[in-house]
Order: sequence, then structure tokens, then C-alpha cells
Amino acid sequence: MGPDPFAMRAFRILTGVLLIVWLVLPLVPLAIWSFARGWRFPDLLPQEWSLKAWSYALSDTSGVVDSLGLTIGISLGVTVLSILVGVPAGRALGLYQFRGKQAVELMILAPTIVPGIAVALGIHSVFIALGLTNTIPGVMLVHLVPTLPYMVLVMAGIFANFDPSYEAQARSLGAGPVQTFWYITLPAILPGIIVGGMFAFLVSWSQYILTLLIGGGRVVTLPLLLFNFAASGRNDITGAIGMIYILPGLLILLVTARHLSGQNGAAGGFGRL
Amino acid sequence: MSDRMRIMLLLAPAMLIIVVLFFGGLAAGLMRSFNYMPVIGLTRPNLEAYAAVFTSREFYLSFLLTFHIAFTSTVISSVLAIGAALLLRRSFIGKSVINFLFQLNLTVPHIVGAIGILYLFSQSGSFARLGYHWGLIAKPGDFPALVFDPYAIGIILQYVWKEIPFIGVIVLANMQAIGQDYESVARSLGASRWQAFRHVLLPLIFPGVLSASVMVFAFTFGAYEIPALLGQNYPAALPVLAYRKYTDVDLAARPEAMAMAIVIAVLSAVMIYLYLRMSRRKIRG
Amino acid sequence: MTLTRRALLSTAMTLALFSATQVQADSADGDALNKMTWDQVVELAKGGTVNWFMWGGADNINQYVSDYVGGILKDEYGITLNRVGLTDTVEAVNIVLGEKESGVMDKGSVDMIWINGENYRTMKQGGLAYCGYTGLLPNNALINWDNPAIANDFGVPVDGCEVPWSKAQFAFAHDSAKTPNPPKSIPELIGWIKANPGQFTYPAPPDFNGAVFVRHVFYHVAGGSQNLLGEFDQARYDEVATKTWALLNELEPFLWREGQTYPNSIAQMNELFANAEVALNFNYEPSQFGLAVQAGTYPETTRSYGLADGTIGNTNYTIIPFNSPNKAAALVLQNVLLSGEAQYEKARPEVWGTSAAIEISRTSPEIQAQFASIVTPVSVVSAEELGKNALPELQAGWISAIEQGWIANVAQK
Repeated sequence: MGPDPFAMRAFRILTGVLLIVWLVLPLVPLAIWSFARGWRFPDLLPQEWSLKAWSYALSDTSGVVDSLGLTIGISLGVTVLSILVGVPAGRALGLYQFRGKQAVELMILAPTIVPGIAVALGIHSVFIALGLTNTIPGVMLVHLVPTLPYMVLVMAGIFANFDPSYEAQARSLGAGPVQTFWYITLPAILPGIIVGGMFAFLVSWSQYILTLLIGGGRVVTLPLLLFNFAASGRNDITGAIGMIYILPGLLILLVTARHLSGQNGAAGGFGRL
Repeated sequence: MSDRMRIMLLLAPAMLIIVVLFFGGLAAGLMRSFNYMPVIGLTRPNLEAYAAVFTSREFYLSFLLTFHIAFTSTVISSVLAIGAALLLRRSFIGKSVINFLFQLNLTVPHIVGAIGILYLFSQSGSFARLGYHWGLIAKPGDFPALVFDPYAIGIILQYVWKEIPFIGVIVLANMQAIGQDYESVARSLGASRWQAFRHVLLPLIFPGVLSASVMVFAFTFGAYEIPALLGQNYPAALPVLAYRKYTDVDLAARPEAMAMAIVIAVLSAVMIYLYLRMSRRKIRG
Repeated sequence: MTLTRRALLSTAMTLALFSATQVQADSADGDALNKMTWDQVVELAKGGTVNWFMWGGADNINQYVSDYVGGILKDEYGITLNRVGLTDTVEAVNIVLGEKESGVMDKGSVDMIWINGENYRTMKQGGLAYCGYTGLLPNNALINWDNPAIANDFGVPVDGCEVPWSKAQFAFAHDSAKTPNPPKSIPELIGWIKANPGQFTYPAPPDFNGAVFVRHVFYHVAGGSQNLLGEFDQARYDEVATKTWALLNELEPFLWREGQTYPNSIAQMNELFANAEVALNFNYEPSQFGLAVQAGTYPETTRSYGLADGTIGNTNYTIIPFNSPNKAAALVLQNVLLSGEAQYEKARPEVWGTSAAIEISRTSPEIQAQFASIVTPVSVVSAEELGKNALPELQAGWISAIEQGWIANVAQK
């Protein structure tokens, strides 16, 4: 394709700038609020600044720090579980053709089509009977419902591009199954694991209604805390918690960013629906 | 070990979780929606809850509102996402910044975005205050109602904000996998930029756009926390209505809530099935 | 560390853990507790935990409970207080209900709930509460059970199933700089709304504060609360309700957003008031106005007031579910909450500023002096001032009917 004419370039730059502003914009008032002592209409910036919101958020009473640890723990746990369950399932769907495959695919992807609330109310009564409500394992289990489809989808995409003959070669040369997996399969599917794991973490990280219903208000993850403060109008504390809440996601992004650029088949796995 | 055996073993854990939790949850909800709760002695299933749901004007209004939110958000996000992906696949100044921000947006949970939109677009929010300073409005009531409004503008803004990067990342990945060769060929044969896009690239990325937009539609239709924060009181979005009924002090509302949940599930499945069929026909046709 | 020493250590730890849980498991039996002395109860509760479920939307209350009350429990009784914040008290009631339905009879997750009104009625009617123990609490002597406003929770007799914690009375607020002459009675308010379109609104029931505002209008239409006392009367209700909905619908075009939508919650309404989107605010807890001014959320010129025709007041309570496994600890907690010291601490405007539920005259002279020395902030109307015109709450049957009636006839029209 030839070089951009000037108008086209200007358009691209303008759109780019707008896009940048648009993507960052909603986070700005949250950040400002966290440092404000009251911020009323029509002030563009707070008349008085204060660190009270942050000191409350980081204190023991507010439970924010505990909640942060809890949410990280749950999301990590869910990610690990999703990987352990999703990788084999992705292998099955990516490498093999078999009767009933479409039905299986549909079943595994069903949670992305059926809204969480529809299932959550029913799961709640099942979990009460199983004694899993108000427990951390219960919350982790229920998080698997929305995260598993993404993990399987990504892994199926990766495995579809994976050539199992390399594994066969390694086995024929005398490598054990563990060695084969570690040296042959794993490096090839690692980008998928990272992208799928990231999606799984983020889906679990931002879960609200599932945690609220199954956790029964006893498992207080950060989104619950944030929602409570936002709904009760404490904007300054909401701002502080909001900033804390987006931090881990940001860190994970910095670590895994290059895998999202599209050079591998991972993100493209989404085209398989 | 035979292939079939191997496949079953590989799929077993995932299928177990999906069948027990997801389908089991749906089944449990279905039973309770029929007023069938043996634990407290209700052993005669009936359709009272569904009758209550389907004769409720509030339910239909909620459904229409929720459909509007999901449809509008999905359409706008998909179109703009394709545009953004087109923008991003060429190199230019600031491309890596935008790429990074795109992905940053992916990690920001919906609740945070919703709160941000609230602080920006409410009648006493940042934009209203700017309007005041530029002499455009005299009091908050003069600023247009963008949150807690009947058209759910604030909710749609939030979904669009979050889903453009989501769909964009997928589309971008697809575009880069496809490469630019096909379009180059078309251009060299005399096609205009638009024609190359419309008739060569678009059909190739369409499956990816389709799957992504299906997920977006399902999510925006069934999400609770965003309409709970930004939506108006009546009619409320369907998930908010269902949750309200579920937590009502009056226990008789519970089967109604379950019935609503089942209806939401069925409606989502039907709508998406129709959507996929119509689009698949378009791909082939 | 050698292997044997490690084994011994872990055995010791397991045993210690086991005995600790043994202590907790034993206080699920409410009947057994009723037969003990107070010292035995305190001994039983030592080292345990109590899970108190309460509305968590006010961080000053959260801090009072977690820091002050929790501190006393820990330091003086060795009990760990676990405060569980709720968006709506009904969530906790639903948990207990769900547990009863599933047969969880003595390992419930809720040890105490901050409760009153409809939620209390649900628990009492559903047999969800632990009752008959209140004589055990030493500080029970400070409660004036002869006062019908305390012996009845929204018209439903307490019958030893719950213990009072706090009193609240509804009040209005305005920014004296922007609205120097606010309406001081319901009829005046109605006229004021029509003269000042777009300046007033109220949260949609079932929001707690929105619902009580609607009840004020209901009382006005009925010609006074004395005409509505007693059991729910369908005929009387229909008569008054029709006129009330007509009135509220008539007012709709003069409300904020022309009545096309109502704030979802009192928090949203607070936001509107803070940003002068509406001129008047109200709250069942007027101390909230003072706290908001202190936090800089409301302007310094905010003032609050009661109505000439009276505002509704209530007592709120703490209740222990039937299946709580930590009843002894919950009893100790309730006793602490009722103590003169704790009631004084929460009466302090910097902490919470809410009225005591105990008879101050029954406390020690030092505590009485402390209460007398409290200075209410200028933005908050004093409890005595409000108390001159207190209207009672109706029985829960009326309350749910009015709530449902508003939703069906005003929200949905």
C-alpha cells in the first residue's frame, strides 16, 4: 500500500489522540477524588486536598488491604485451576475431531452466552445444600464458570496450530511423557497459557454478582468493597479503592503485554466460535 | 489408550465443572422457578412464578431496555473496534501508546469504568462543570441527563468504553494473522481502499468480529453491577430486577426471581442463536 | 528442629486449635446459655469470635464498631469482633433464612444483625431469632422496657428477641445560604415543591429513607398517625393510599427530572444535595449531615430541622439468630453495646452523634455528666428538639403495603 496522503495522516493522528484521551478519561476523576476533601459542583478541581481517603483505605478498619490480598489469592487460585482444567480440554478440542465435538464446544462455551445472574441464583441454592456458600473455595469454584470457557477457547486455538508429531518424535527418541510435555509441548503452548491465564485472572478479578451471591457478603473481594462505597456516596474513598483495585491488573499487563500483540494464535482463538 | 478414551479423559475435568455447576445451577434454578422446593414442603410444581413474570408490565419494559442496551452497545463497539484495529495495524507515532492503553483498558474492571463514567457524565459531573465554566449551563439541571436516564446512555457509554478494546484486540490479532497480502492484491487489481476493505478484509475478519460481539452482547445483556450503578430506577435492567426480586424480604418473590433468571437465560440463548444463524448466512451468502 | 520436637509441636498446636474451636461450638445451645450466670457466659465466650452483620454504608459507624467496640471486646473479653458490612440488612436475614431452609441449625454464619422494622418481623415470624435471654445481660437494667417505643419494634412486640441499640428520628436539611426559608411541614413542602420545580426529589422505595418520606406524606393524607395505629386495615389503607398516590403523582412533574426517575438510594440523593442539584435533603440519621459537613461533602452552611407536624422516629436493635454458633460472644457484645460508655461514645457528634437507646438517668453520675456535656454541631438539629414532635412508626404490615403501593402506583405510572 502506498504512503498516506496528508489528510489521512492527520485523521489518523487526531483519532489516535482522541482514542488515548477516551481510554484514560474515566480513571481521571477517580484519581482526583481520592485526594479531595469534598469536591462540589461547579469546582473543576477540589478546593481542598486531603490524604484522609488514602489513610482510611490503607488502615486496618476499612479492610481494604485484607480484601486486596483475598481477591489476589482467589483470582490466582482460579487462574491456576482454569489452567489445569482448561489446557487438557483445549487439547482435546484443538487436536481432535470426534463425534459430538460441536455439542461439547457449545456446552463449554455456554457460560459466555448465558448471563451469570441466570445461573448464579440456581447455583446459590445448590451451594447452600453443599455447604459451599460464604466460603472462599465456594467463590473460587463459581468463578470457574465464567473463566473456563475463555481458557478453553484460547487453548483450543493454540492447539489447533500445534503439530503433535513433534511429541511423537520426542517419544520415539526415548523421552518420557513428562519430559516431552516440559520440553516440547509446554514451550509451544505457553503463549496460550499466558493469554488464557490473563483472561481468567481478569474475569475472576472483576467478578461482582457471583461473589456477592455465593460469598454471601462474607467473602469480601475488592469489587464488593468498591461497589459498597460507590453506592453509599463516599466518592473520596471510592477513588482510593478504585486506584488500588486497578493496580494488580496493570502489573499483570506489564508482564504479559507482548503476548497480546497478535503475533501468536492465542488471541485469534476467539475466532473459532 | 485409544483416541476416544484419551479425548474423554482430557475433557473430563472441564465437563464435570460445566455440567455440575453451570447446568446444575440452571436446573436448580428451573426447579425453584416451578415453586418446587421439597426442603420447605413445596412439592407441587406450578407455573405461578412464570405467570407473574409474564403478566408484569415491569418485566417487558425491563426486557426492552436491556435489549436496547445490549444491542446498541454491541453494534457501536463492534464498528468502532474495527475502525480502531484498522488504525492500529499501521505504524505511526503513538501507536505503542495506544496499544498499551488498549490493553490497559482490558485490565480495568467494569465497576471502575462505571464509577468513572458516573463522575464524568452526571449532571454535576466533570463535563457539567466544564459546561458551567464555559457558560453553557447555569445549574446542574440544565446539563442533559446521561446517567440514570431512560435511554441508558451512561450505561452504553461504559460498555462501549470497555468493549472497543476487547473486540479491537481480537480483530487486530485476526488482521495481523491474515496479513495485508489479500488487500494488496485487490488494490493492485484496481480496487479502492474502501472496496478492498469491504469485500476482501471484512469477510475475512467477520468470524472473529462475530464471536467477539456475541460475547459482548451476552455480557451486556446479563451484567448486573453496571446498571445497578448507572441505571435508572424504573424500568431497571433485567438482571437488576431479578436480583431485587431474589433479595426481597417477601419470600414469595424468590420463585419469581428464578423464573426471571431462566427467562433471561433462554432469551439470551435464543437471541444469540438467531444472531449467529443470520450472520452465518451472511458469511456464506 | 528435630523430627520428634516438630511432631510434638504440631500436636500441641492441633490440640490448642481443637480446644479453641470446642469453646466456640459450645455456645450454639441457647437454652443452655439461659441457665448460666453472666460470669459463666463471659468465661465461655473468651477467645471466641462474633460475626456481626450490619449495614456498612457509613464508614464512621464502621470505625466505631470495628475500632471502639471491637477494641473493648478484644482487650476486656478476649473476643474477636468480625464486622460484616451489608448493603441492605435483608441480605443477612436471607442468609439465616436460607440456612434454616437447608437445615443448618447450629453452625450458622451470622451471629448478630443490626435490625428493625420489616426485617425484624420476618425473623420473628419465621422463628429465626434467639429469644428469652435478655434478663441475662447486666446492662439490661439500663433499658426502659416500659416505654412502648422500645418494647415494640414498628408495632411488633420485642418479646425478648432483640435488644435496642440506637434511636433515630427523621429530619430534613437545607443549605441556608441557597435556600434560607425551607418548608417546615408537609403541607408547606407540597406548596414549596410546586413553586420550585426541579428542586426536590426522594429516593425510590424500598430505599429505607425514601420509604419513610413516603410514610410522612401518607400520615399527612390520613390526617395524622393516630388514625393508622394498630394492625393493618385494608379498608383504611385503600382509602388513604388512593389519595396519597394521587398527591404524589400530581407532584411528579415538579420534581427533579420531572419525576421520570427517582434516585436509587439515599446515597444518590446525598450526592444531588451536595452538588445543589436539589435544594432539600433528609435522613433518618440527622447526624449524617454533620459528618458530611465535617468531611467537606456538604457546604458549611448546611442546617437541619424537624417538621412542625412531626417526623417519624424509631428504635433500632441488635438480634441474635437461632443458629448462631457464638451466642455467648454475641451476648457479651450486646452487653458492651448497651453500656453507658459505649452509648456515650456513639452519641459524640465526632463519632456518630446518635441518640442513646438506654435510659441515661439509670447510668452512673459520671456517664450522665458526659452525656450532658455533648455539644451538637450547628448543622445538626438536636435530638431533644426533634423529639418534641416524634411520630411513631406503623406496624410492619402497613409499611410493606405502602412500599408496594408506591412501586405499583407511582413508580410504574
